[in-house]
Amino acid sequence: MNTIKGLLLKDLYVFKNFKGNIIFSAIMFVFLIFFGSVKDDIFTVGSIVFLIFFGMNSISSFSYDENADSDKYLLSLPITRKDIVLSKYLFVFLNSFISILVGIIVSFTITVLVRGKVYNLGDSLRICFIAFTSVSFLMCSNIPCIYKWGVEKGRMQSVIIPALLVFLLSMLGTLVLVLFPDLYFNLDLKYLLKISPYICIVLNILFYVISYLISYKIFLKKSF
Amino acid sequence: MVIIVEYNLEVTNLTKKYKDFQLKEINIKLPKGKIIGLIGENGSGKTTTIKSILNLMTYDKGSIKIFGKDSRNLTKEDREQIGVLLDDSFFSPILNVNDINNLMKNFYHNWNEKLYYDTIKKFKIPCNKQIKEFSSGMKMKIKVLCAIAHEPKLLILDEPTNSLDPIFRYEIIELFSDFVNNGENSILMTTHITSDLEHLADEVIFIDEGNIILDVPKEKIDNDYGIVEFFDNNPDKIKKDDYIKCLKYKNGCYILVNPKNEFQKKYPKLEVRRPTLEELMLMLVKGE
Repeated sequence: MNTIKGLLLKDLYVFKNFKGNIIFSAIMFVFLIFFGSVKDDIFTVGSIVFLIFFGMNSISSFSYDENADSDKYLLSLPITRKDIVLSKYLFVFLNSFISILVGIIVSFTITVLVRGKVYNLGDSLRICFIAFTSVSFLMCSNIPCIYKWGVEKGRMQSVIIPALLVFLLSMLGTLVLVLFPDLYFNLDLKYLLKISPYICIVLNILFYVISYLISYKIFLKKSF
Repeated sequence: MVIIVEYNLEVTNLTKKYKDFQLKEINIKLPKGKIIGLIGENGSGKTTTIKSILNLMTYDKGSIKIFGKDSRNLTKEDREQIGVLLDDSFFSPILNVNDINNLMKNFYHNWNEKLYYDTIKKFKIPCNKQIKEFSSGMKMKIKVLCAIAHEPKLLILDEPTNSLDPIFRYEIIELFSDFVNNGENSILMTTHITSDLEHLADEVIFIDEGNIILDVPKEKIDNDYGIVEFFDNNPDKIKKDDYIKCLKYKNGCYILVNPKNEFQKKYPKLEVRRPTLEELMLMLVKGE
């Protein structure tokens, strides 16, 4: 456990160096929500922007490791390949989770301060859940590409592969609707939105587990 | 009386094939309390050997044992007994000395924080500056410190004296000598700066194009090998069977002899001196 803690600290220390940028961006972001909070949906938009802006930053930790060839050094310490991959996934998940959590709290507080209350809080939170899952999908399809080709060499693949997965999934969805047209008319969107948090939890677990297993397999075969 | 030699590291017939390079049957036996220097040209196979020992890459044939166990099956506790310095890889340079201490104490149970900070103070390394602001010598000091501050039993060092000034190189050599003094610890180190091994190594292994072409105790180099210099570029007066290699240069040539005592008896008027490791390496690779 201490090893994982150390590896998470390593990535946090990299972030520590951007603290000036992060604080500045956070202040700008709070101002944006404050002035935008008179409009509908600013709560949802604010939280999602916070998630995308800060949550997806964790990919840069791969870049810092790659530049210093840190993985090679870490593997010469009492650290296993499993520890390294697991800690990266934990870091990415925690970073996204904390980002959306902070985004929700900040957006909620400001919206309540300006407008007195947040309308449709339940639906807004459900949309945040869906956004979080979408970001998880992007990150989880991106990380195995980074392990396979590296941050620099794998830039193209990191864009193409998630896009290809989205395309394939939407084609699959279209195919299902073509084959079973009744399904479309019987779809209860309100019910779907209601149960979406449960679907999101299952999808998040699936994305992270599958992606972790692929990345671990790639990293296991990697020579340094 | 039978003396049982215990080894901290045993590499047997290590073989690794690449498209254009092959590491061929490398054998290294590093006893407790000893230092082995691995020398050779760039691309000769030193780093491949080190990487194989550290499990950073797979190998095709052979076996590697550390503390008597297969290196691929070492536990975390076993690996805590190894200190490593790699020339080309470390933590991100935006970390500082305190950050590194905080990380290392999570990775090693026996991380000696006092030893770390005492040595930091001794080396006059600033604690709050990022590593990227350090000189290359200072970066190397931090790497050396990270390899020894958990008090390991085996040190595996890839070019540890690279980019160090002569004074610090001397200090490091002293430090390594002290490290093996307890008779339990050992060091395997690669280096380009062969002069560092002159007073440090107990054994020298010379790798060339993936082959070990020389594996001798340092004492044997001192006692048996000799070098003779001719200023007329003509060692013809010496029988070819009496020397191993001859290296010609612009105004003369060198010959390498072994054993030097016999050569000296045969040619008493010639001055035979002990070769430096660099000369030995040069003669073995470039000599005819």
